[in-house]
Amino acid sequence: MITAHDITKTFNAGKPNEFSAVRGVSLTIDFHRATVLKGPSGSGKTTLLSIVGCMARPTAGRIFLGNREITSLPERFLTEIRRRTFGFIFQQFNLIRGLTVLENVMAPAYPTGEKFPVLRKRAQEYLDLFDLGSKAASKIEWLSGGEAQRVAIARALINNPSIIIADEPTAHLDSKLSHEFMAIMRRLKADGKTIVLASHDPIVYDSDLADSVIEMRDGQLTSTGSLP
Amino acid sequence: MILHPSILALFISSLLISLMVLYSTAYGIQILRRWDIASGSELQLGLERRTYLVSTIVAYFLAFQLVSLFMFIYTADSICHLFVGAMCAVGTLTVNQFGYPTLVLKIITFLLAGLWLILNHADNQGFDYPLIRTKYRLLVVMAPIILAETTLQGIYFLGLRPDIITSCCGSLFSPASRGIATEVINAPPLPMLTVFYLSTSVTFASGLWFYLRGRGGALFAALSVVQFVVALTAVISVISLYVYQMPSHHCPFCILQCEYYYVGYPIYIAILTAATTGMGAGWLSHYRGIASLREALPGLQRNLTLTALVSLALMAAISAAYTLLTSFTLR
Repeated sequence: MITAHDITKTFNAGKPNEFSAVRGVSLTIDFHRATVLKGPSGSGKTTLLSIVGCMARPTAGRIFLGNREITSLPERFLTEIRRRTFGFIFQQFNLIRGLTVLENVMAPAYPTGEKFPVLRKRAQEYLDLFDLGSKAASKIEWLSGGEAQRVAIARALINNPSIIIADEPTAHLDSKLSHEFMAIMRRLKADGKTIVLASHDPIVYDSDLADSVIEMRDGQLTSTGSLP
Repeated sequence: MILHPSILALFISSLLISLMVLYSTAYGIQILRRWDIASGSELQLGLERRTYLVSTIVAYFLAFQLVSLFMFIYTADSICHLFVGAMCAVGTLTVNQFGYPTLVLKIITFLLAGLWLILNHADNQGFDYPLIRTKYRLLVVMAPIILAETTLQGIYFLGLRPDIITSCCGSLFSPASRGIATEVINAPPLPMLTVFYLSTSVTFASGLWFYLRGRGGALFAALSVVQFVVALTAVISVISLYVYQMPSHHCPFCILQCEYYYVGYPIYIAILTAATTGMGAGWLSHYRGIASLREALPGLQRNLTLTALVSLALMAAISAAYTLLTSFTLR
């Protein structure tokens, strides 16, 4: 499981505009289950998610991935864990304009030094899985919102991470596409992936996908618990 | 003070190195007092973030410290024509009483900076900052020496005036002179040559054993220190005679000049590299038990040992080329 102990994240510390996005949060996230961080905008979900996913470092507190403490790791070790363990799906998708769909999906795997034909084959398989095979050579800017979302999911999976982290994944999708996204997440969970979602969309936190919903407000947990 | 570009570069770089080392030492003292990897406190996380930056910057400054030794000698050699009586770096260094102490401190800081860089590199191989206290302890030891070097170098440069009459190497490194140089150059040449080859062989054999078997690191480190002293003594007392092909010219600096094909540079670089990497490789044996270094350390030690062995071989080859292949003989 992922365990967070007393996590605090303060921005602009010591300055007049000092702001604590997360304050003394402790929680556990079970492996192979789906956990949803729920809360209004500004509640600290994204900050906490980025800390859990090793995208940012806390100001205080520790995160354990299994038995291994990861917040103290020097950047070069953290990079490897981030690359191998976590797959990120960002709210704005963060796909690279000017590159093709296939190139975007392969991009996170380039630093691993994997052989290009093997990597390209796997990326193509993920695109086929999400009905995007015919779009492989298309530029990112030509895609619809739903297609861009699925490309972002394929990119998150390219290094075969055990944990998928998605920040407000349905924020730019209509209801139909949001339900499609949730169906993909169900499939990934069934494959044994750990899913961590941050959302204030009822389609996400009221979904049968969520094993556990953790509610946040003003940088603190207001409720946490497993769903029946 | 003479406004020579190299002097200004050395002066300014030493000031910058000293300032950075002072800042890092203050930070290092905080690490030594407050570091607790088990804690998730704001202070501890701040220390973890900053050590990455501080040690990276210090590494670059200390890498320049290594270069600055040779830059100092080169500068002293290249401005000797400004002083009456000077014919090489010896004359420049004796313009006032701070030249040689600065050189000695530069050699000491070269060795210490080399060891710090090795320790820092080893520390970076572990995920849990395994040598962080050791490397900052070493930095705390180095700080006053680096500050003393900067101060002495500053006083030395400020006291350089072109109207000073100084001495040439012929008078300072002759058997008739007095001081520690005399003790070194009066060492009997041929027995000294034997001691040099013996010391090089034993150190090389010890390094080879350590490289192949991974045992005997402490012995190799100790022999590297002995070899460093023996090699420097041998260069002055006997090897220089073969380079100059003169039975009484012992200058350790003329071999850095064009007339002698700058052979002094590879000789001194080999001596210093062998000493630093040999000591570093041996010292690291002490940390082989640390779990996070268990995988990385043997490989690093092998690389360091190989570097030391190549340096020893280079030094021996250059010496052999002069002592065996030239027509000059002391027999």
